[in-house]
Amino acid sequence: MTKSLSDLKAVHYIHVNEEVCNGCVLCMKACPTKAIRVKEARVAVIDDGMCIDCGECIRVCPRGALTAIMGKSDMGDLSDHFTSVSASTVLYSQFEEGILPNDILLGLKRMGFSYVHDQTYTNEMFNVAVELFIKEHRKKDDASFPLISPVCPVVVKLIAYRFPSLLKNIPPLMTPREIVARESKLRLAARHDCPETDIKVVHITPCPSKMICIKEPVFQEHSYLDEAVALSNIYEDLKKNIQDVDEDIVLHHSGGIGLGWGMSGGEITGLDLNCLAVPGLQETIRYLEKVEMGLLNNIDYIEFRTCAEGCLGGPYTVADKYQAKHNLQKLIHMFGVEKRVKYSYVKKLYDKGWFFTDKSPISWERKLPQLTSSDISKGIERQNRVEEILRLLPRKECGACGCPDCRTFVEDVVEGKNSLQGCVFWESQKKKLRIGDNKVPAHIREDLPESD
Amino acid sequence: MANLKKRFEIKARDFVRAGEVSIEVQSLLKTIGFRANDVRRAAVCAYEAEMNVVMHGGDGVLELTVDPKNIVMDFTDDGPGIDNIDLALQEGFSTATPEYREMGFGAGMGLPNIKNHADSLEIHSKKGEGIHLRISFIVSDGP
Repeated sequence: MTKSLSDLKAVHYIHVNEEVCNGCVLCMKACPTKAIRVKEARVAVIDDGMCIDCGECIRVCPRGALTAIMGKSDMGDLSDHFTSVSASTVLYSQFEEGILPNDILLGLKRMGFSYVHDQTYTNEMFNVAVELFIKEHRKKDDASFPLISPVCPVVVKLIAYRFPSLLKNIPPLMTPREIVARESKLRLAARHDCPETDIKVVHITPCPSKMICIKEPVFQEHSYLDEAVALSNIYEDLKKNIQDVDEDIVLHHSGGIGLGWGMSGGEITGLDLNCLAVPGLQETIRYLEKVEMGLLNNIDYIEFRTCAEGCLGGPYTVADKYQAKHNLQKLIHMFGVEKRVKYSYVKKLYDKGWFFTDKSPISWERKLPQLTSSDISKGIERQNRVEEILRLLPRKECGACGCPDCRTFVEDVVEGKNSLQGCVFWESQKKKLRIGDNKVPAHIREDLPESD
Repeated sequence: MANLKKRFEIKARDFVRAGEVSIEVQSLLKTIGFRANDVRRAAVCAYEAEMNVVMHGGDGVLELTVDPKNIVMDFTDDGPGIDNIDLALQEGFSTATPEYREMGFGAGMGLPNIKNHADSLEIHSKKGEGIHLRISFIVSDGP
C-alpha cells in the first residue's frame, strides 16, 4: 500500500464543532503552519493538507470547539477479546504522591484490560538502540547528523511537510510505543494460540496526534497499535480503580531513566552522547531551521517535543504540567538513574533488526511533489506580486480578514482564494493611495477610484 | 526570465537578531519553490556571511537576486575590510577576537565554508574600505 500526499490530505483528525465555534481568531493565530482560516467571521476551517495535528488550536480555544478524533473513552465490554493496554509514561505523573507506577498499572488491569504492558523498560532499550545506531553510523560516516528523535509524531509530520530535506535525519527506528504493541501481539497470540489480529492494543496518551499516526503512519506499513485513548478521558475511571489495590503483582520493572520520558529531556537522560532536548513548537521550528542550515552537525541526537515541557504538557493531560514534572522527578529520584537493561541483550536484538521500521523515513520524501524550473518561475512571479501588494497594506496584522497575518492574506489573494476587499483597512488605504502613487500594480489599480 | 530582488539590512554587533536574515532568505527561497539542496547551500552561505558582517563589518546590506537558474547574494558592509584575501580563505585562519571565540565563533571556517557550498565566490575588499562579497549559485536541474 503506498500513500501519497493527497491521500494524507483527505484525512480529518482535528474537528471544528461549527455549533460551538464563534469565529474568533485565537486558533488561527496559534496555528504554527497557518492551516486555519476563519470564514465569514463565523467559523474556523482547517486545511487538512497543512495541518500537522499539533493540537495548539485545541489548547487555545476558549469554547472547546476543537477536538481531535480519538478512540472511544468508554471501553465497553473488554471480555470478548484480548485487549492489551500500554500507556505513555505521562500517566505516572498525573496522580498525587504515594501512587506508584505499579499501582497505576494494576488499576488499568482492574479496569478490564486483559494485559497491561509497562512501556518504560522498552524506553530504556530504545535508548541503547539509538546509541548503537549513532555509533555505527558515525563510524561509517553515512548518516546525516544531528539525528532527530522519531518519538514525537507532530515533529515527524512537521518535518515531512515543512522540512522534507531533514527526513534523512530521522533514524529508521521504531518508537517504544510501537515496539510494545508489536511484542504484545506476538506474545499474546502465541500464548492464546490465536491470530495476532485477535489481540487489540490500546495506547493511553496525552497527545491528540497519536490516533493519526496509528491510522496513517509515515514510516511504517501499518501501526501495531489499534486505538489511542485520551488520558483525560479514562482518568476518573482509572482513579477509582487504583483505590485500595492490594494485589501483590509486580508489573513495573524499569528504573528512573525510562520513567522520565514524559518530560522534556527525559528521552536523552539515558544517552551517553552529545544531545539536545528542545521542547515547544516555536522552538522546535527554530531549531529545525538551524539543523537545515547545517549549524548543529556536531550534535548527535535531538529530542524534539512540540508540547511545552514535553509530553506532560500535552492537551489531554489532567494534572498541571509543572506539578506533573515535579511528580516525575520524584519518581525518577526514587527509582534511580542506573541502567537496568542488559547492553549485550539489546545489542543482539539490534543486530537482528528488532528495532527497525519496515519503511525508511526517506521513502516518504519521494512522494512529495517535485518542483520544476517553470514552477520556480511561477514562484518568483507569485512572490513579487505578494511583495507588491503587501507594500500597499497598513500591516496591522489584525486577523479580521480571517487569515492569520497580512502576508498570508496577500498570498491567499494572489492565489485567488480571497479578495483585497477582505481587508478591513483596504477602503481607507485606497483613498490614501490615490494621492499620486503610481506604485500600485495595474491589476489592483482597476480596483481604485478614478483619479481626477 | 522572471526575477526577484530583495534587500535585507544587517546590523553590526546585534547578536539578538543575528541569523534572522539568513533564516528569512531560507524561508523565502523555500516558498518560491527552490529545491531543498539549493536552499540549504544558500542558507549556509547566507548565515556565514551574515555573521561576518555582524562580527567584523560595520552595518551591512544583503541584496538577494533570484531567477529560475541563479541565486545571487551580494553582501556589502562598511567595516574594516580584509587585509589579505588569500589568507582569509585558508581554513583555520581567523581574526576573531577572544570575545567571539568564547561565543563559539572563530574556527576560521566562515569564508572557506562559503567557498565550499557556493558555485562561485567573489571578494572585493581593501583594508579600511569595507567588503563586497558576491556569492552565486547555479540552480540544480531536474527533480
